[in-house]
Amino acid sequence: MGQNDVVQGTLEMLILKTLALEPMHGYGMALRIEQVSEGVFRVNPGSLLPALARMERAGRVKSEWRTSENNRRAKYYMLTARGRKALSDESETWNRQAAAIARIMEA
Amino acid sequence: MRFFKNLARGARGLFRKESVEREMDEELREFLDASVADKLNRGMLPEQAIRAARAEMGSGNALKHRIRSTGWESSLEILLQDLRHSLRGLLRTPGFTFVAVLSLALGIGANTAIFTLIRQVMLHNLPVRDPQQLVTFGTSEGDGILGGIDLGMFDQFTYDFAHQLESQPGPFSGVAYYSSFPPKVSVRNGGAEAAVQVSASLVSGNYFSVLGAAPFFGRAIFPSDADAPNRSAVVVISHHYWQQILSADPAIVGKTISVNSTPFTVVGVMPEAFHGFKQELEPPDLWVPITMVEQIMLQPNMLTPRSFYFLHMFARRSTQSTLSADQAWLDRQIHDYVRAGEGATIAAARLQEIDRLTVRLIPGSHGVSFMRTQYGMSLKILMAVVAIVLLIACSNLANFLLARGVSRQREIATRLALGSTRSRIVRQSLIESLILSMAGGAFGLAIAFAATRALIVFVAEGATYTALDPLPDTAVLLFTIGVSLLAGLLFGLAPALHAARSSAGPVLSANTRTVSSGGGSRSRLAPKALVVAQIMLSLLLLVGAGLFLRTLRNLQGQDYGFERSRLLIAGFDARLAGYKPEQVPELNRRLVDRLSTLPGVRAAALSSTPPISMGSWRSSISIPGYTPQPKEDMGSPINRVSGQYFEATGIPLVAGRAIAPSDQAGTMKVAVINETMVRRFFPNGGAVGRSVKINIDAVAGPWQIVGVARDTKSGDPREKAQRMIYLPLSQIVGKNGEGIGDSFAYSIALRTSGEPAATIQDLRTAIASVDPNLPLLQVRTIQEHLETFMSHEALISRLTVIFALLALLLACIGLYGVMSFNVARRSNEIGIRIALGATGGGVRWMVLRESILLLVAGLLLGLPISLGAANMVRSQLYELSPFDPAILLTSGAVIAAVSLFAAWLPARRASAVDPMIALRCE
Repeated sequence: MGQNDVVQGTLEMLILKTLALEPMHGYGMALRIEQVSEGVFRVNPGSLLPALARMERAGRVKSEWRTSENNRRAKYYMLTARGRKALSDESETWNRQAAAIARIMEA
Repeated sequence: MRFFKNLARGARGLFRKESVEREMDEELREFLDASVADKLNRGMLPEQAIRAARAEMGSGNALKHRIRSTGWESSLEILLQDLRHSLRGLLRTPGFTFVAVLSLALGIGANTAIFTLIRQVMLHNLPVRDPQQLVTFGTSEGDGILGGIDLGMFDQFTYDFAHQLESQPGPFSGVAYYSSFPPKVSVRNGGAEAAVQVSASLVSGNYFSVLGAAPFFGRAIFPSDADAPNRSAVVVISHHYWQQILSADPAIVGKTISVNSTPFTVVGVMPEAFHGFKQELEPPDLWVPITMVEQIMLQPNMLTPRSFYFLHMFARRSTQSTLSADQAWLDRQIHDYVRAGEGATIAAARLQEIDRLTVRLIPGSHGVSFMRTQYGMSLKILMAVVAIVLLIACSNLANFLLARGVSRQREIATRLALGSTRSRIVRQSLIESLILSMAGGAFGLAIAFAATRALIVFVAEGATYTALDPLPDTAVLLFTIGVSLLAGLLFGLAPALHAARSSAGPVLSANTRTVSSGGGSRSRLAPKALVVAQIMLSLLLLVGAGLFLRTLRNLQGQDYGFERSRLLIAGFDARLAGYKPEQVPELNRRLVDRLSTLPGVRAAALSSTPPISMGSWRSSISIPGYTPQPKEDMGSPINRVSGQYFEATGIPLVAGRAIAPSDQAGTMKVAVINETMVRRFFPNGGAVGRSVKINIDAVAGPWQIVGVARDTKSGDPREKAQRMIYLPLSQIVGKNGEGIGDSFAYSIALRTSGEPAATIQDLRTAIASVDPNLPLLQVRTIQEHLETFMSHEALISRLTVIFALLALLLACIGLYGVMSFNVARRSNEIGIRIALGATGGGVRWMVLRESILLLVAGLLLGLPISLGAANMVRSQLYELSPFDPAILLTSGAVIAAVSLFAAWLPARRASAVDPMIALRCE
């Protein structure tokens, strides 16, 4: 694992959270994750785009082509109802796991 | 909903590749542009920005590939790719592929055909209710009308006994009976239509209810139909008859058909699967109440108490009673019946004898089948033969796949090194094996259809309609396909798994000039073992084929006791044309006169039974001056023959004279007996001139013996000759010379001067000219006639020979394949040897030596197995020891010759290896 890669297995959850606020296109998501994590996590397209395709197959996001801010055509992704549910499930699991790890590390 | 969305998306990915591709390109481009723009924003220089953005993205193609593989359609595409690749690979070696598929197909097809037949002949359950409750009284194998026997002998019973048990079945829930053979009757449907001859079965009133067989439509026969003789002329017809002859007339119930010129009303039609309780080769088409026996068999008084034993019986057991209790009850009924018929005083010895009478109750859920007993052993042998062929075929397939596995080791190692997953490699081998198995299975199915049909035609001996279904048995087909699939998977998978497990390094870097480059001698053990096994099995089959062939030859060549060429035998039945006994002597005379004048006929004769037959007309005899031993069988088959019989059949006389045309109704009653009779009753000679009393109704004896004829064989060619008395047909008449029931003749014998087949048409015309209504039932040359008795010998031996040769061919190809593959793999090693000075002959010998070792191992191991198997089929052989050395030696020699030939070609190729070429290519 590289220095700036996301914690293994959490990429989908992060994407879901990012999309929970508003629909975005691919690069926008990568930028947002980098910004909000204050540079700790950098997602490269090699992981992001396949993850998005997987989630689309699983029905958690859906996509449509729109014009972006600089008047170009871009593929925008947005959450579906199933995606929202997945987000709440996964964040609950993550919180539980993180708390457990913290307890162990402080013991 | 998601499922369908996914499906749609995947389908789009499959069929609209370009638009999906374009979308992905666009998305990537957009990403890249956005990334560059963002970096420019942060203050990077344009080239830096572009480079950085590109570096982040990595290879566009790899990314697109990763994106694509998230969907199911990419797996499908990969599968299709593998499929195409495997197919191409298989087609590149067409010879091997063809042989592997063909051997599998033949194994599967032949196996299915044999098993289908066996299942139907041996294992088919009756299409009736709860067949496991049914029991037969005895084996019910005999057929015919017997008189003067004890009740239950040959499992035949009289009408009064059967009827008594029908009304009072004791511990059984029902007792029913039927005629022990289906007589042929003449049926006419409408006024003008021609008559057809079909088989009819006479049954008790409760036959269908005891069986639990429901009609297809209409009704079955009820007990009320069989309450009085000659009443209730009703008939139930078979599905086959209804479809073929009556064209599936839906309103057939209530219509009338004419059976032997008596009108019968059709009351019902049976379902297609129902063929009666006893499975005959030609199943009955009509079921008629027993009380109509006189119209069907054209013989009066069949129902008279204690006269004619012609019925088989069966019963449905009730759950309350045990088998031993049922058996005891039946035996008691038999004893009571026989005792009641003996009169007031019975000798103590006779009482004991009566008490010993028993008829065994046998489970009848499969019905009774003549075919089962006659063909049972033969079919089992064939089963074994075909299973062996299947084994050999699977070995070929296995060898082929193993060889492929080894030759692809480098390919696999290379692919592994280039990043392929192990699962993909294994999957591809799997697909290859499956393709082979499927192809073999598909062809095998086609062969199964054809082979089943052919086999049935053979077994049915030319009967036009049998109850056997030519549709291959699905269970067996699935089983054999499963076996071949298993073989394919096992032998295709094993090397692939092995290769995929090992790391690429050692294989790739192995110095290909060493012996181990070919995979090492260990990897060659499996193919060698398989070849040895194939040779063993081939030896077994060849020995078997040799034994059966010789048996057949022995049977065919044996002396039957009469002239065996240029003899035409035909069957006919004047009763079917409505002849009354009074008209018969005149008819017989006219027939003999007319037939004797046929061109190309040297002698013509009529007889009651043909020279060789299964059935016979028996009567008891007594010889003045000879006191029979107690319980001695004083019966003898009797053949009623016309004047020229001995000339026509060529049966020589060893003493006295033959029956001549001059022996007529008014002259002295004469008889000719055969050698077996003489040996038994006149051991000191002097038979000619003695007289004998024969127990025939309406014809008083005594008969004077005027000649002794040579023995002839009866139905079973393996049996010793039976007794025979020949009586002049024209002397079997009533007191005033009028015809009686026994005056009928049923067989015509013609001795021809040329080929008998040429006279057949003349025979038909001649018969028609005497009476156009007289049906000829069968016309055969004596050769054909004899062959029907040896049909199962011919069946086994011919089929075994075919399969043995097939197995040998397959084994030979297997050996050739293994040897040539070995040579190919060792070509580097051989190149070095030649370069170092080995001669061509030396190299040849080196390869041949390997083959010879395999051959010898196979023969040595196969010898005890072959001897053991030969011993098991000893009962099928005739005048032949199972350990016949000539056959063993010949089989071994044939295999050796074939194997050496198969090994010679690769050996020659080995010696022709050019070391420059061999060492050059890596």
